[in-house]
Amino acid sequence: MESALNAIFEVLSFGAIIVLVVLGLGIIASMMGIFNFAHGEFVLLGAYTTYLVHGAGLPVWAGMLAAPVVVAACGFVLERLVIRRFYAAPIAAMLGTYALGLVIRESVRGLIGGLYISVPEPIVGSLIIGGVQVSRWRLAIVIITTLVMVGSYLLLTRTSFGLRVRAALENPSLARASGISTNAIYAITFTFGAALAGLAGALVVPVFSLFADLGIRFLIQGFLSVMLGGVGTFEGPVAGGAVIGVMSAALPWAVAPVLADVLVFVLAIVFVKFRPGGLIAGRRF
Amino acid sequence: MDMGSGYRDAAPMISRRRFLQSAVWAGGAITTGIGSWVIRPEWASAAGPIKVGIATDLTGAAGYAGNADANVAKMVVKDINNAGGILGRPVELFIEDTASNESIAVGNVRKLVQRDKVDVVLGGITSSMRNAIKDVIVTRGKTLYIYPQQYEGRECTSYIFCTGPTPAQQCDDLIPWLIKNGGKRFALPSANYVWPHATNEYVRKIIEKNGGEVIFEEYYPPDQVEYSATVNKIMTNNVDVVFNTVIPPGVGPFFKQLYEAGFGKRGGRLSCIYYDEGALAINAAHEIEGLATCLDYFRVLTKEDPVSARIQAEYDREFPGGALFAAGSAATGMYRGLKLWEAAVKEAGKLDRDAVAGALDHAKIAEGPGGPAEMVSGKHHCKMKMYTAVAKEGNYEIVGRSEGLVDPKAC
Repeated sequence: MESALNAIFEVLSFGAIIVLVVLGLGIIASMMGIFNFAHGEFVLLGAYTTYLVHGAGLPVWAGMLAAPVVVAACGFVLERLVIRRFYAAPIAAMLGTYALGLVIRESVRGLIGGLYISVPEPIVGSLIIGGVQVSRWRLAIVIITTLVMVGSYLLLTRTSFGLRVRAALENPSLARASGISTNAIYAITFTFGAALAGLAGALVVPVFSLFADLGIRFLIQGFLSVMLGGVGTFEGPVAGGAVIGVMSAALPWAVAPVLADVLVFVLAIVFVKFRPGGLIAGRRF
Repeated sequence: MDMGSGYRDAAPMISRRRFLQSAVWAGGAITTGIGSWVIRPEWASAAGPIKVGIATDLTGAAGYAGNADANVAKMVVKDINNAGGILGRPVELFIEDTASNESIAVGNVRKLVQRDKVDVVLGGITSSMRNAIKDVIVTRGKTLYIYPQQYEGRECTSYIFCTGPTPAQQCDDLIPWLIKNGGKRFALPSANYVWPHATNEYVRKIIEKNGGEVIFEEYYPPDQVEYSATVNKIMTNNVDVVFNTVIPPGVGPFFKQLYEAGFGKRGGRLSCIYYDEGALAINAAHEIEGLATCLDYFRVLTKEDPVSARIQAEYDREFPGGALFAAGSAATGMYRGLKLWEAAVKEAGKLDRDAVAGALDHAKIAEGPGGPAEMVSGKHHCKMKMYTAVAKEGNYEIVGRSEGLVDPKAC
């Protein structure tokens, strides 16, 4: 029983981590039609910012607050300089963002000397809930992910800004004709997605430690999530992230871990074969 | 083998100077591209220089180790040249980046062998890298190859010499120590590639021979970062010793999850044989308190061994703040390899491959990091002293040392 509860918590917390990483990726993919291959590196930049701020002698949580802001700023600059040239060509956008990601990743690798560096959690230790050891920080990640998810959802569905974002996605020319600057909307959306990636990086770095390839693993799982969940809605990628995260963490409990890794992909591909639009398809809010 | 243990003192402080140095390095690397370096000696001889090629991962995932190896080569070659060179000729150093990428490596190593016509190649960190470049060097290139990393110990090709420890050297003393200071129930969580498979095969034999038992031996994708199922298995099966061959990036989260589950608190013992000083930075010190490892060198030896102290001090003086001089990154194997090769060339009196290989087959050095070393004739591997150490508050403490030089039991 204890073991089962423990399993449920661990699986949930990894699911939350994947959802957190996928959130920004999903918003950019759904709202702008761009697959941001540099998303993993935005996550890495968030982690790196946290490390730098902590290294400068400030508390870790200060780094975690700074990370979304710093990464958002980077995202904004990149969007203005590079990404906006790709809106008409999604394939070129994939390659372009991949190249950006590569530059960021290798720069960070040079800056940290290719090392693995531990960054402490702001909240250490574990709680014992019903006889189960629960890491306080993993619990915090689950809670923060839930809050960020709800916040993003409300922002996109309940505010006039969200309405304009959806309008710019649904019918860009009509949106422009109605006086909405799609140009500005795209910049803000991309910046927002980058900020979410930065936050994700900041929150997960104490769990996984800082290293240059931090983003890559999550990038692949992120894309799988977006594919599984379906592009075009807010809920799709989030649901996909939850499914992929939970599967990745849960399958090793049941089958050989090496098999589990492959099985996640096989199951996702089989699912998409029968439901090409993904879990939540077709409906845009 | 492959480990990407990192290098940094436990406190993640970054000085402005370090930051600027790194930024300049990264900037330079990005704008000019990374490839080859030639380090010419300060003096010349009529016969021309002897050419030493270093093929190592200066960039990419194994960069932490490759840079340490290149630094060691620069240091040793400088010392050799300052002492009058070899056979009256200076040594010229050719360094190629293998970029942690086997397909890039083959092309770059070909440059060393065919264009620069080096007399010997040292390098390679992972076993996959060694396998990728060995044919280029030895078979087609007709050149000697020295592999410096601790690894699974099955390389018996002619003209290849290995100067890092083998599983026998690392485990024969360590496993009995773990049984005595941990318990009999072992778990072998492992990354799914050649080094853990081959190492575990040997480790299982030693565990069973010493009265222990393997509760489970399990393999994970090398980049897996989530280990809750494994941690649960370890906790519910009352495992005493976790003999880990999971590598970074997974090893950090894995040890953290084990700690959070209370493995250390209930008396469990961690062990990981590629863990050196640099790897200690992957986790907070309290998460890996008591971790046991067995290597050919630890920094703490500088307190008792003047030779180690001299080498370590020279390295730290010439390469401050960068990649550490540590056993897990093959830095000690690189030192040993170069010095053994120097001794062999001196004995052979010429650079002819067969003559040098013949001398290298039984070459000896009296001084090296951690102690003397000698090649075991016909075995391609080298005898060396081994030390068992335990992590205490972010540093290693030596708890056991071999009596004399340990046999590699390879080939």
